[in-house]
Amino acid sequence: MEQDKPRKVALVASCLLNQNAKVCQGARYPALVSPVVQALRARGYLLQQLPCPELAFAGARRWWAVYEQYDTPAYRAHCRRLAQAIAPLIEQYLRRGDELILIGLEGSPSTGVRFTSSKADWGGRPNRPQDDWEIVSGRGIWIEELEAELARRGLPPLPATGWALDMGRVDEAGAQRDLEQFLESRDTAAGTRADDKAAP
Amino acid sequence: MSGDARGWHVALVPDALINPPEALRASLPDVLQVLEDRKYGVLQLPPPGTHGPLLAVIADQVAEYAHHGYAVVAIGVRGEPGEGLHWRRLAPLLRHRGVALPPRHLLRPEAPATAEGQRLANFLTGYDLPAEQQRRWRV
Repeated sequence: MEQDKPRKVALVASCLLNQNAKVCQGARYPALVSPVVQALRARGYLLQQLPCPELAFAGARRWWAVYEQYDTPAYRAHCRRLAQAIAPLIEQYLRRGDELILIGLEGSPSTGVRFTSSKADWGGRPNRPQDDWEIVSGRGIWIEELEAELARRGLPPLPATGWALDMGRVDEAGAQRDLEQFLESRDTAAGTRADDKAAP
Repeated sequence: MSGDARGWHVALVPDALINPPEALRASLPDVLQVLEDRKYGVLQLPPPGTHGPLLAVIADQVAEYAHHGYAVVAIGVRGEPGEGLHWRRLAPLLRHRGVALPPRHLLRPEAPATAEGQRLANFLTGYDLPAEQQRRWRV
C-alpha cells in the first residue's frame, strides 16, 4: 500500500519554491529554484515548504540584513511561533517512518544551514557597499529555532544542507554539485539501513 | 527592483498538487512545471487535517503579498476535501487580514491532464493586478 510505505520528504526553505519571498533585489529566479526542485523530485522526494520567517516579520519590502540584526528576542519569538505551527506536520512525517531532510539557504541570516551572514556593526541607513558582510559557519536564526522546537518535542535532528543562494556571489553549478552530493549521501545511508534490516 | 528576477505572481497550491498521490498522478498536469513556466511562486497548503496555526502563518504571508503588489491566485482540485485549499478555514483568516479572496481555479482530475494543464496555464497567464497597482509597486 502506497500510503503505508515510508516516504522521502524534503523540508525546503520557502524561497526555494517561491522567489517572491526574497529580500528586494535578492530573487535570482522568477518563480521556483528549479535546479533544487528537479533534483529532489528526480530522487523521489516529496516537498514540504517551510514558512518564510522574514517575510511575515519584516515584510515584502524589507532591507537586507545580517544575522546580528535579526538576533532579537522579538524575531526569535516570531520564529518559534512559526516553528510551533509547522512542527506538528514534521512530527507526523517522522512518526509514520518517513525519511526527512532539510534544505535551507546558505548565507541567509534566517535560513542558513552551514553558513550564515554576519557583520556585527551593520545598522542604520542601509548604504553599505556591496559585499560588506561576512559569510561565517553556522545556522540562521529560523533554522536554530526550528531545530530547537523539534528537539523540545523529542524529535531527532534532521540531516540538512542548504542551497548557496545568499553567499554573495551565485555559483549555481557549485550549489548543484553540493546538493547532489548531499542527496547521494542520504541515498547511500538509506541503502545501508535497508541492508542492515534485511541482514539475518 | 533592478537585477531582481521575481515574477510578482504567487499561487496557493494544495499539497496534493505538489506531491500528488499515485491515484491522482496520471490524471493531473505537472502543476509545478506549469507554475514555473508562468513565473508563479508557490505557497504550499498542508495536506488534509487540522492545521490552524500553520494556516494562520500562511494567511500572514498571503496578506503581505496581496498588500504589496503581488498577484495571488489559488489552485484547487475538484473532489479533494476543501478542494485541497482548506478554504473554510483559510478564507476567514484572509478576510480578517483585509485580504480579498484570491481568484480560484479548480483542476478536474476526470478531464484529460494535457487539456487541464493548458486550462491552468491560460488562467495563470490571464490574471494580474490592474496596471496602476503594478506601476505603484513593481519598481
